[in-house]
Amino acid sequence: MADGFGWRPPRPCEAYRAEWELCRSAAHFLHHYYVHGERPSCEQWRRDLDSCREWEERRSMEAQRSLCESERGRVQTARKHTLVWTPRQSPPADWHLPLPQEKNK
Amino acid sequence: MAGAPDERGPGPAAGEQQPRVACPAFAERLGQGKPQQGFLSSFFSSNQKCQLMLLKTLQTNPYVKLLLDAMKHSGCAVDRERHFSCEDCNGNVSGGFDASMSQIVLCQNNIGNQAHMNRVVTHELIHTFDHCRAHIDWFTNVKHLACSETCVRDRAILSILAVRNISKEVAEKAVDEVFESCFNDHEPFGRIPHNKTYARYAHRDFQNRDRYYSNI
Repeated sequence: MADGFGWRPPRPCEAYRAEWELCRSAAHFLHHYYVHGERPSCEQWRRDLDSCREWEERRSMEAQRSLCESERGRVQTARKHTLVWTPRQSPPADWHLPLPQEKNK
Repeated sequence: MAGAPDERGPGPAAGEQQPRVACPAFAERLGQGKPQQGFLSSFFSSNQKCQLMLLKTLQTNPYVKLLLDAMKHSGCAVDRERHFSCEDCNGNVSGGFDASMSQIVLCQNNIGNQAHMNRVVTHELIHTFDHCRAHIDWFTNVKHLACSETCVRDRAILSILAVRNISKEVAEKAVDEVFESCFNDHEPFGRIPHNKTYARYAHRDFQNRDRYYSNI
């Protein structure tokens, strides 16, 4: 490998292709337009697909940088809305407890 | 559409309303579908039909499979016998999540076919998932309830009105205040799963998450 850290694209290249194709589908256009009131933007998936292939073929550092930046952007976008409720640190204590005996199943 | 939230009968907190979320059928359909009179009707009780349809949903539906994986990852592995209950319900309610017992109720007298079961289980598992990952005050905080119901604004309002004795204005206000944040919370799907293809892609991404987060 070109780098010593064992880096590889966050997704397999076929996943970028699948997302790009889904993004460009008529059904997705309609869903996206209905929900957001604007056309979907699919170019980034295409750029990521190209970067992924470039890394696979030539171990391009620029391709690696571009992919990381793109995916970090996606994660940022997904996390920018603060939750209404407080996240738990552990699951509910009673999740696995047996049901009360008087319950008829 | 409204059903009494405490219709399950006497439980450990008899005489008190329990924090249970009663949900009408999930997003894409309004009201009741006509139950199909097929092979199952002739030979099985409504409880047996409910159990069989539930089993098929748990084994085959891509929305549900992702939700089950995500819950297991969060420490809330789902056991069919412990966390699901097929029961008769009053009114037109299709199902609900009983937070006090950590159990999903499926209304065997109101779920007519497999597609309906798929939608109800998906919907209730989303409530269960939210309950597993966050401190949700189901009973006294209308905004929390609104958040878990938010997919489409009007449906969220109706769902709240089905289980809480509050005015429409209060319900609308709660939904509007939380809509921006809650509509954009797509967990565990990472996207709005418009159909099974999206759900399968979401599940693929979930299974790939270790590789994803270690390489960005």
